[in-house]
Amino acid sequence: MESDLFISGIGGQGVQLIAKTLALAAIIEGRHVLLSGEYGGHMRGGSSVGTVVISPIPVRSLPILPDAGALIALTPLFWENVGPRLRRGALVLAEEAIVKDLPAMQEPRLVTVPATAIATGLGSRMAAGMVIVGAYGALTGIVSTESLVAAMKEQVPAYRRQHLETNEKAIWAGAGAVSPLAHPVAFARTLGALETGMVA
Amino acid sequence: MVLRLLDGSEAIVEAAILAGARFYAGYPMSPATELVEYMAAKLPASGGVCINAATEIEGVNMAMGAAAAGFRAASGSCGQGLSLMQEAIAEAALNETPLVIFNMARNQQDYFQATRGGGWGDYRTITLAPKDLYEAVEHVQLAFHLADLYRVPVIFMGDNLLARTQMAVDIRKFDFGPLPPKDWQLDGTSGGTGASRQIWTFGGGKTNTPGPGPSRHWEQIAAKFDMIATREARHEQGFVDDAETVVVAFGSGGKFVEFVVNQLRAEGRKIGFFRPVTLWPFPGEALERATDACSRVLVFELNAGQMIDDVRLNVGHRRKVRPIGGVSFDESGLNIGPLMDARVIRQRILSALEGEVK
Repeated sequence: MESDLFISGIGGQGVQLIAKTLALAAIIEGRHVLLSGEYGGHMRGGSSVGTVVISPIPVRSLPILPDAGALIALTPLFWENVGPRLRRGALVLAEEAIVKDLPAMQEPRLVTVPATAIATGLGSRMAAGMVIVGAYGALTGIVSTESLVAAMKEQVPAYRRQHLETNEKAIWAGAGAVSPLAHPVAFARTLGALETGMVA
Repeated sequence: MVLRLLDGSEAIVEAAILAGARFYAGYPMSPATELVEYMAAKLPASGGVCINAATEIEGVNMAMGAAAAGFRAASGSCGQGLSLMQEAIAEAALNETPLVIFNMARNQQDYFQATRGGGWGDYRTITLAPKDLYEAVEHVQLAFHLADLYRVPVIFMGDNLLARTQMAVDIRKFDFGPLPPKDWQLDGTSGGTGASRQIWTFGGGKTNTPGPGPSRHWEQIAAKFDMIATREARHEQGFVDDAETVVVAFGSGGKFVEFVVNQLRAEGRKIGFFRPVTLWPFPGEALERATDACSRVLVFELNAGQMIDDVRLNVGHRRKVRPIGGVSFDESGLNIGPLMDARVIRQRILSALEGEVK
């Protein structure tokens, strides 16, 4: 069983940082991961898609995922890069402020969190990514909040230590903003019997 | 087991150091730049030397010098850089210097370069093409082992997916068995002492100990490559026993094809896959067996048709063989293009099964 996830945002929103935080948190918990990025020209403002696969055994998924069972959406833009690649019943965790601009999706697979508002309340709008990664961890149970905090600390460079406290608060605030899913692994990929049904 | 999140380039460098590599002289070109960067960062701490060569030709010849002195040495670049290294690779093959060459390829257009070579003489280069980072960690170490075992240059062929995808990996040491002593290595003894040694492409010896001479030497080299061809061909296959269609692909392409074939099998299609793990020696006999009973052989490669020659040489009925790949780059011309996508590969396979004309 492999849990595969796209993170879709605009370059500069911290998509790759969210992806790496999740990957490192999974490694802290002794699991295998694959982490790759798809960028639109390596620039601010372009499409940025992060891919994270978490597995109890060595990862078999491809470095370019044909589809995934979950999406963290930070932007409604570039939906064509990820929307058609979500498997049927996929989980979409979206920034609340963008939901009105997303294509119609069936509840209860769409979960929203006011990540930017929470981060702004904590004094750092830039920490929205940390809020949403905290929410994703708590929602799916895929990694613990403690592991996410440790993973965040592991990769923040020395010259950005001043952000540690806010980032940690943001992860916990995100975790507190959602209720855990009843069947969190329902959207994972079962290898050998791969689902082919896509949602538009 | 210690899992760490590493990109392919860093994992490859760590595997090389674990294999005992002590010298790297490479040339930075995308996506091989990170390789020389990580080598520069990590080799000195392990007692090694890394040189960012001013040209590819300098780099590979420096590596050959270090290898002649008995050190595990390597050079590397992308395929464009390896083009310039061809003379030195041929020399290393013909003067029997073990050398590892990393080709972090931009695509899959270097198959001919690796398997046919561009230098002079009757030589071949063992070429390992891992499908993912797990296999790469083993192949890096195997490359140094095979180079020493046969005193030959060995090419490790990766690509940008391998170089840049990050995975949790455990860099562990592989044991491939004993190696002969390096009784040929240059030890600094100079001429006139009676104890100096010579490494020479023409197989000439010294006044007191004449070598076999060019013709006999090159005959022996050719015989050695024939022997390697019978011993070192490696492949991976799946679902071929009752397959009506077998899809052949190498490197990252092999992993994508394996994924799609698994998917189609789960849907009840009688399809299998075959992946040459060594591009040379090409696992021709194994491919012949794997495709003996099938009615269709599809070849997926990101080029205009290179490996397909080897497939046609080995499949019993060459008319069964059809290409489903093609040239595919991104806009920069430095990266694998949109064809390396499970959804596209799946569609191309299905089109071939349904007999549609592309």
